Amino acid sequence: MKIRLWKVLLVVTALLFVLPVLMVLLWSVTVSWPFPDLFPREFGLRGLSQIFREGSRALGSLAVSLRISLWVTLLTLMITIPGGKALGIYKFPGKGFIKLLLLAPLIVSPVAIGMGIHGTFIRLGLTNTELGVVLIHLFPGIPYGIRIFTNVFEMVGNRLEEQGKVLGANGLQVFFHLTLPTILPGVISAGSMIFIISFSQYFLTFLIGGGNVITFPLMMVPYIQSGDRMMAASYSAVFIVATLIALVAIERVLKLYYRRSSGLSGVFYTREKR
Amino acid sequence: MEKGKKLQIKPYLYLLPVMSFLLFIFFFGLGTSILQSLGYNSDGGFQSVTMAHYRDVFRSSAFVSGLLFSLRTSLISTGIAVVFGVGLAYLMMRQKKEWRLFRALLTLPVIVPHLVAAFIIFTIFSQSGMIARVGVLMGMIEHPREFPALIFDRQGVGVVLAYVWKGAPFVFLILYQVLRSIHGDMVEAARNLGAGGKDLLLQIYLPLSLPSIFSTFILLFAFSFGSYEIPFLLGPTAPRALPVLAYVEHIQPDWSNRPYAMAMNMVLAGISVLLVWIYHRVFKLFRRHHWEERSQ
Repeated sequence: MKIRLWKVLLVVTALLFVLPVLMVLLWSVTVSWPFPDLFPREFGLRGLSQIFREGSRALGSLAVSLRISLWVTLLTLMITIPGGKALGIYKFPGKGFIKLLLLAPLIVSPVAIGMGIHGTFIRLGLTNTELGVVLIHLFPGIPYGIRIFTNVFEMVGNRLEEQGKVLGANGLQVFFHLTLPTILPGVISAGSMIFIISFSQYFLTFLIGGGNVITFPLMMVPYIQSGDRMMAASYSAVFIVATLIALVAIERVLKLYYRRSSGLSGVFYTREKR
Repeated sequence: MEKGKKLQIKPYLYLLPVMSFLLFIFFFGLGTSILQSLGYNSDGGFQSVTMAHYRDVFRSSAFVSGLLFSLRTSLISTGIAVVFGVGLAYLMMRQKKEWRLFRALLTLPVIVPHLVAAFIIFTIFSQSGMIARVGVLMGMIEHPREFPALIFDRQGVGVVLAYVWKGAPFVFLILYQVLRSIHGDMVEAARNLGAGGKDLLLQIYLPLSLPSIFSTFILLFAFSFGSYEIPFLLGPTAPRALPVLAYVEHIQPDWSNRPYAMAMNMVLAGISVLLVWIYHRVFKLFRRHHWEERSQ
């Protein structure tokens, strides 16, 4: 009996967190839902079609967002994989401090950092450019990459890589045929996390992008501010669906890569034969 | 493989890209803020080092009330989110079945961006929102005006609600993993020694998950204290949350205003750095404690 009560409690809380998302999806296909109705009066795709109209600004901003976030994901992975490897495998002086510094972006306010570096970015000509936005988006994602890859390398070590080297593979071969397949689960979870963080950035984008780089969240905010529920919900729905699709795609692509290269022996075998 | 204690260069090489990027951001991001807040001027250099800007900032009532607003809403929302998340994780862990779907659904608020969370809270709690509509249905109110203003209110109820909605599932996901990893030998042993449910909770689960609970608390607190979106969309215009206030100062075209903006910025960053320090300290404490227990 007592157990059942707990179960009810669990289900109720779950609904508390999930129903609002469903409500957003419902609003996105609603044309008329006046006060004080509890259910929409009229359904329709006016909001969504406004976003998906050919050549619309919304669609363009979605493309900009995807482009920026994919670059950010790639670059962050490129710098945090070696960083995580250093922290996960080696012992060296200054490690504690470096670790703390690399995790600091989780805690130090991105608003403070963004406004502090704004002047420097202006001087370097990075404001109002996609490059500048990509660079500033790297900041909040780094700790997640570092954390995940430190754990991953603590688990897998570097024995396999050493063996590969002994067998005569060069650095790149070792990385792409041994390291990457081994740490793939980490790459997927870190990549997804970094992508989500960059994809949902608002403040840093408009601060550095200066109204010149219009991402999807930037298009969305005016509708939220003005209380235009239909449009805000349509944007939110597209946003959530786009995130999910991108995450699945990232995972698929990486897994595909894994399957192709998982014949671990392949590269060495061909070398031997030569 | 490596000989003796010779200093290795490899880990430093691996760390070079990420460290140079981060040091660049921190150096210029915090460096310019510090200098300008102390009276440095990019045209004329230092006239004199002065704390006047900080003094003025702390004398301004907009700043002080904004700071208090930020601290209060972050503390309350983080507290509620952590209690909620830890409670959920504990209940979930005690279930026999895995409830995969349940957990998958609970990750939704984590991937939903803060902007959408703000919109959700607005749609539910505003004066013409879902709750007000239920109120009409139940005959408690007749007009939206009669519903209490929870959004844009001085107390920041809307801000707190949004952070709780985003934060609690985050705490749940982390703590569920942590608690699951405890579940096992130690619990078995305690059971054999006659420990009941309450003993298990207080003697094993709670102390062992305390470091994780604490670290998620700091993370969530720092995040809600230092971010812009939620208070910008759901907060009142007075008092303004510190990040919103600092940005308003930041975009003032008048350059004489610059040092004040930077002083505010430094308070914002300073409190974050303080949090990093607390985080670090407490973890050292936990670790020492943990080691002592092990060595006994």
